[in-house]
Amino acid sequence: MAEELVLDTAIRDWVLVPLSVVMVLIGVLRYFVAKLMRSPSASPSPDPKHVKEGQVVIRARNLRTGAQFIPAKAFKSRKVYYTNEENGLLHVPKEEAQKAQAAMFSDPNMAMDMMKKNLSMIVPQTLTFAWVNFFFSGFVAAKIPFPLTQRFRGMLQNGIDLSTVDVSYVSSRSWYFLNLFGLRGLFSLILGEENATDDAQKMMQMGGGFGANPTMSLSAEKDSLDIIQHDWVLPKMEHHAEEVLRKLLKK
Amino acid sequence: MAAAAATGGGISAEVPILHSENLTSNVKSIYYSRTFLSIISGVVAGIWGFTGLTGFVFYFLVMMVASLGLLVKAKFSINTYFDSWNRILIEGVFGGLMSFVLFWTFAYDIVHIF
Repeated sequence: MAEELVLDTAIRDWVLVPLSVVMVLIGVLRYFVAKLMRSPSASPSPDPKHVKEGQVVIRARNLRTGAQFIPAKAFKSRKVYYTNEENGLLHVPKEEAQKAQAAMFSDPNMAMDMMKKNLSMIVPQTLTFAWVNFFFSGFVAAKIPFPLTQRFRGMLQNGIDLSTVDVSYVSSRSWYFLNLFGLRGLFSLILGEENATDDAQKMMQMGGGFGANPTMSLSAEKDSLDIIQHDWVLPKMEHHAEEVLRKLLKK
Repeated sequence: MAAAAATGGGISAEVPILHSENLTSNVKSIYYSRTFLSIISGVVAGIWGFTGLTGFVFYFLVMMVASLGLLVKAKFSINTYFDSWNRILIEGVFGGLMSFVLFWTFAYDIVHIF
């Protein structure tokens, strides 16, 4: 459709490469800033109640994974111990759950931590975006090596208002966005697993309210314990043992 | 690639006995190798000047080869190391696609466009 554009090599040297390099460096910087800003005493003396709830959840999970190795009666009595509606360990009364939620929202430390996290995420992004906008607005910076339909014009040629340019040409502002999403893999390689730049996960956490809510995990564990199908495998174990031993003998 | 830790004996097919921490670490090493491969294959595709569908075909070919490599690494007994075949076949393939496209574009532009 449109003939090939000739792009100046100066655009490569002064726009394309610097933009990517800066994005990487800012990602690294953000990681270390977030590491520093994370409150040094994440939880100096954790609330004993929270610890207790966490331990109960772990115990219930162990019961769930090991359920096949105990007899049906033993499993049933343990299950009742955890999930019965009066004083089961995993059972949380309705009013109490709401109270816990309210306490969570009013806890200032929690809100502060969230704020810090969000700030370390949003501030650099806004700054780089402003920087890109200010210096590089209106460039055709790159060309993606595959054809796309007209629909992508708004996404890829953000900042250029020409309808005759082929859609696969990318404006510098859109190159910024491509970098933003594509560099996540690189960051997870160079910064290790728990890098602070995983925006998508952060968003998810924010969407789900306050990430780790102990009462919620309690009731979730209770549900999964309730629906588990118990099947005692030990009676069949002797056959397996026989098979294994026979196999060994054959060798 | 990080050394894979056996998640369990896998004595019987019906009762998977998996050690969840080892499973997570295995999956993580898959994820790393895939990410690494997607970046490298992106650069390679860009330098070789693939355009259009060829590039994506190349990506999925590389990912299939990676699956094969993982299979060999796991000594053809998936159930010893992972809980399902999907782990080896599709884990991390689509996550790496974005990185692949970025590095493909980058290398292609630097080598062929300017």
